[in-house]
Amino acid sequence: MAYAISVDTGGTFTDVVISKNHNLIAIGKSLTTKERIFSGVKDAILNASGNAGVDIAEIFNETDRIIYGTTHATNAIVTRNTAKTAFLTTKGFPDILLLKEGGKLSAHDFSNDYSAPYIPRINTFEVDERIMFDGAIHRPLDKTNALCLVEEIKRRNFEAVAVCLLWSISNPVHELLFGELLQEHAPNIAVSLSHQLNPVMREYRRASATAIDASLKPLMQKHLRSLEEDLNNVGFDGELYVSTVAGGCNNVSSLIEQPIYMIGSGPAMAPIAGSAFATEEGTKTDLIVCDTGGTTFDVGLVRDGNLTFTRETWLGPKYSGDLLGISAVDVRSVGAGGGSIAWLDDAGLMHVGPQSAGSNPGPACYNQGGEKPTVTDAAVVLGYIDPNYFLGSRMKLNSEAAFAAIQTLADELGVGVQDTAWQILRFASDFMMRAISDITINEGLDPRESTIVAGGGAAGLNIMMIAEELNCSKVILPRVASVLSASGMQFSNIVAEQSASLPTVSSNFSYEKVNTVLAELIDRVERLGTGSRKDRDGTVIELTVEARYESQVWELDTPFTSSIFDGQSSVATLVEAFHKVHERVFAVRDETSDVEFINWKAKLVVPSGINAEQNPEKRDPRSATTDQHRSCFFGLEKEISTPIYRATELLPGHVVSGPAIIEAETTTVVVFPKMSAEVTMSGNFSLLSDNGETK
Amino acid sequence: MTVDDTATFDPYMTAIIHNRIQGIVREMTNTLLRAARSTVINTARDFSCSICTADNQLLAVGEGLPIHIFGSGLLTEAMGKFHAESLAEGDCFLHNDPYNGNSHAADHAFLTPVFVDGEHLFTAVAKAHQADIGNSVPTTYMATAQDQYQEGALIFPAVRIQSKYETNQDIVRMCEARIRAPRQWYGDFLAGIGATRIAERRLKELCAKYGVETIKRFIKDWLNYSENRMINAIRELPEASLHNNGAHDPIADVLPDGIEINIKINVKPEDATIELDLLDNADNMPCGLNVSEACVVSACFAGVFNVLDPSIPRNSGSIRRLRISLRDGSICGRPKFPHSCSVATTNVSDRLVNMTHSAFAQLGEGHGLAEGGVGMGAGGGVISGYDTRGAETPYINQLIVAGAGGPGAPSADGWPTWALPVNAGLMYRDSIEVEEFKHPMLFDYLRIVPGSAGAGKFRGSPATELSYGPTAGDMEVHWPCDGTVHAPKGILGGLDGCTARHFRLLQSGKAEELPNVVAVTLGVGERVSGYSTSGGGYGDPKERDPKKVLKDVLEGYETVERAKEVYGVAFTGDVAGETLAIDKGATAALRT
Repeated sequence: MAYAISVDTGGTFTDVVISKNHNLIAIGKSLTTKERIFSGVKDAILNASGNAGVDIAEIFNETDRIIYGTTHATNAIVTRNTAKTAFLTTKGFPDILLLKEGGKLSAHDFSNDYSAPYIPRINTFEVDERIMFDGAIHRPLDKTNALCLVEEIKRRNFEAVAVCLLWSISNPVHELLFGELLQEHAPNIAVSLSHQLNPVMREYRRASATAIDASLKPLMQKHLRSLEEDLNNVGFDGELYVSTVAGGCNNVSSLIEQPIYMIGSGPAMAPIAGSAFATEEGTKTDLIVCDTGGTTFDVGLVRDGNLTFTRETWLGPKYSGDLLGISAVDVRSVGAGGGSIAWLDDAGLMHVGPQSAGSNPGPACYNQGGEKPTVTDAAVVLGYIDPNYFLGSRMKLNSEAAFAAIQTLADELGVGVQDTAWQILRFASDFMMRAISDITINEGLDPRESTIVAGGGAAGLNIMMIAEELNCSKVILPRVASVLSASGMQFSNIVAEQSASLPTVSSNFSYEKVNTVLAELIDRVERLGTGSRKDRDGTVIELTVEARYESQVWELDTPFTSSIFDGQSSVATLVEAFHKVHERVFAVRDETSDVEFINWKAKLVVPSGINAEQNPEKRDPRSATTDQHRSCFFGLEKEISTPIYRATELLPGHVVSGPAIIEAETTTVVVFPKMSAEVTMSGNFSLLSDNGETK
Repeated sequence: MTVDDTATFDPYMTAIIHNRIQGIVREMTNTLLRAARSTVINTARDFSCSICTADNQLLAVGEGLPIHIFGSGLLTEAMGKFHAESLAEGDCFLHNDPYNGNSHAADHAFLTPVFVDGEHLFTAVAKAHQADIGNSVPTTYMATAQDQYQEGALIFPAVRIQSKYETNQDIVRMCEARIRAPRQWYGDFLAGIGATRIAERRLKELCAKYGVETIKRFIKDWLNYSENRMINAIRELPEASLHNNGAHDPIADVLPDGIEINIKINVKPEDATIELDLLDNADNMPCGLNVSEACVVSACFAGVFNVLDPSIPRNSGSIRRLRISLRDGSICGRPKFPHSCSVATTNVSDRLVNMTHSAFAQLGEGHGLAEGGVGMGAGGGVISGYDTRGAETPYINQLIVAGAGGPGAPSADGWPTWALPVNAGLMYRDSIEVEEFKHPMLFDYLRIVPGSAGAGKFRGSPATELSYGPTAGDMEVHWPCDGTVHAPKGILGGLDGCTARHFRLLQSGKAEELPNVVAVTLGVGERVSGYSTSGGGYGDPKERDPKKVLKDVLEGYETVERAKEVYGVAFTGDVAGETLAIDKGATAALRT
């Protein structure tokens, strides 16, 4: 066992984290190279190996495992560079992808066209067949009709086909038959079958997932195979894994089968990282994991040590975008970041965002032509960011431009420039705070009893402000805060999930069918996991059922342990587990109601072998000192001469009391008055809002 | 001229507190959606949450449906009228009386007064369309009801259902003894109360955090700010006196001549007001189509909001600039008891929304909207019967699977998910699979009807057709579909949408055309099918960008024939060969 490398290739940058014998040893960064992804990956690894002082050839030769994450799939969808894909559905229902599930964000807004379906109607085909809710065949699949469609699909040069027939979840025979016809007559066309990919009731969710998945297959197969080949050519003979939105990673061939799981896999890694760093710090509470980028603020949760999942992840805006539909790590993203612009509307109300100066022209202080006041400009005016030490001096900021931009808004508001900057920062923080509230409320998690783990370059500016609003007393800012996703991959387990739809009700429980389905699911996930090493200890299968009270239609994930139901008491245990979940989320339980169980899920978890452990070293708190000071403004009467610390000069055990600023190469941490920051024994920052001792 | 334009307005704190309150309405909405039992609430989202002040000002509405929200203040007014003396913390009221400020009897509104330090500061309102309300026939929209007695709904004029946080079980038993599928109703009842209790808790936390005085200041500032937004928007408009008229279809037996509707709108930029005059309308009629005061107000205000900047907040502040004149005893005014308002939230109200927003097109291109599709047909039918697939159980529910097409607008085409003018596409759609799972029924098709849209420079959305019937046991189906006679109108040269048509398919395979108001019992093997209207077009179709016409043909919204005849766009090549292209020369010739 030597090195493990995790790679997060974003649209612009590729981040790399290298660990040796379970210890993170180096971070590397480079530009993403879209034409040949490996060049950028290699550059980033080279950068990291340089930082670690190790030869890159040695690293490639002695790496056991590479975990690869990419936004390539997401970008392909955003830019509509996916395969030419046909959508095949039940005759009479061609508009499933068009009509979706309805809904609109702004009632009185008529300025935009309705969004196009993920697959155009002209590429939609209807096959004559119909299955009923219970799996009974209402109209058998018309094979002549099906063969005609296959020929048409071939003739029109489709590269992929998404097959979603009504009630294929109750009886997949027609989907399978059509799949076989395609395999026989057009073996080179990629196919996704809805009952295999996403066996959930609600045809739109299933169809949307299937359409997205099929459209990615040719592309992602090529992408992953070429990466595999390039890695082999430089002497890597360890295991290659790909991170997924299911909250883990899996081998290349399983992702080629189900590439949809690569969408959003980067943000899904952040909660895993959060969990690992919280463990290092001995934190046992629920976690709120935030990742602050330049334009977005992502929030995920870890509850009772587990990730939380949702089937309502939208690609693009809610309602008008495309629903991912699969059970994905629940990460909410709101448009807020350093580039968010502050403005007043025609009746004088303040807004921050949703407009963003982005990175070009960027905030006024970037000196690239931006003139509008942004959050970053506010941080400069407040004295939090040293214009000469932004991103470790890699970029010099123009502080006059920041002041000028904020001054325009200050004039409109009729308050001082610093007060204006303070309001902008607080406003942005409030918006982020509400994003956290929305997700915690949905999951019945109390922020007051949770810990925030914050990552992303801009997190340190206002995370303490956000924590204070939430009455959340503790924040962990990991030492690798700027590469949260790539570090999460280091700790991610190998995860394979399979699900099946089998509605049954507690008062008339289908023992035999449930047991059969569970046995099948367990068998299927075990087979999916065989690409990974079987000898790892601690492999477990986690079982979950999506359940609800009778007549409700929105299910709640209910975990359970027994894979065999053999009588009333086993069902009673399951029912009680559901009551508990419902009570947590909605604050009520209805003991008189039957419980309906809908989708059954089995998840194989093969531990990565890397477990975060609480750092055993004893704390030795002592005050840090510095002779550097700068004037900073904290919303008080006037500015305060504030001590400035360099992160590189702080050692484990050092405590910095607010007001203070800690400057690192990749981030700036603002310690507000009455708050404090401590460098932990693992080198993370532990931030406290009460200026007291670590709890 | 702006309201309260003083130095005391805090642009920052006002925005912060407003955002918090919006968060509270969002949480109410989420609770009601997720915990409710009937699909009309938990899947279609036919409900609205809002927060009013103690003096009955509408403060925040979230994503509430236009037809529900503007009347919230009237609901809390009734609560005050009946209970001012005894109002106490822990109360919750059920209100569905259309003569005391509610929309129609099928909308059960839950009102929870929120007390902070013993002072009544807010009322949390959750209003949800019920699957059943104990009417004389199994529908929540009874167009043929001669009066409220024949309609037969249980009426609750702001009745106290909780006191000291304890539910009055007498009322629960009354409802269970009358409302069909009572277990489903009780689940929805709990969810409705729960949503207002969540708001109560959060509003108290908000007051504790900022202090009651700051919150009171905020209420004043927020409403004034909203009024200023409206003032600014109205001042952008030219001064004008607009007239519009329209009609609801005749209904056999009860409404042989239909209902003619008139509206006068005075746009007064100098006063920054818009006057809506509905005085010139017919008297109440012996049918279920009489519009309640809450619905007339909501429908007309929704029409105004449809043509203004969509970011203007919807509350009592902004609507202070809208003056509405209503007549007692008018079919779209203040109804006279005991005329039935069973269908108040849709049919005539839909026409009012359309007439209001399309009147503004008289100001010229760039203003107003075409008329959107109307008519709640088979896709919005109330189905009921006994489910005999397992142990026999009663079922009743409104389907929300397909609606009418949206209107063409100054810069965009109509949306296929529009459904009706009164909800403007906000509602969700049921899943075919969920409906077939929950009810013994089977759908045969559900699809866009090519070539059905009202053509225009910006076209309406095409209609959606569907067909379904029972699979086990008889199924009763009711709907009151407007638009079979009077199509939604296009404007500024845009063409009208199509009219609605529905059929009953007998077991013999024979199809019988249905009237617009339908009450049928289908046996197994029988079906209903059809479509409601499409949206009207905005502007001359011959001015539509030929590239958009090409796309419409490729995507199957329009036909090659109509492209040529209606839009004046000719093509070379063909769709099947993937070679269809605009014939520029021929198109230019067709368009001159």
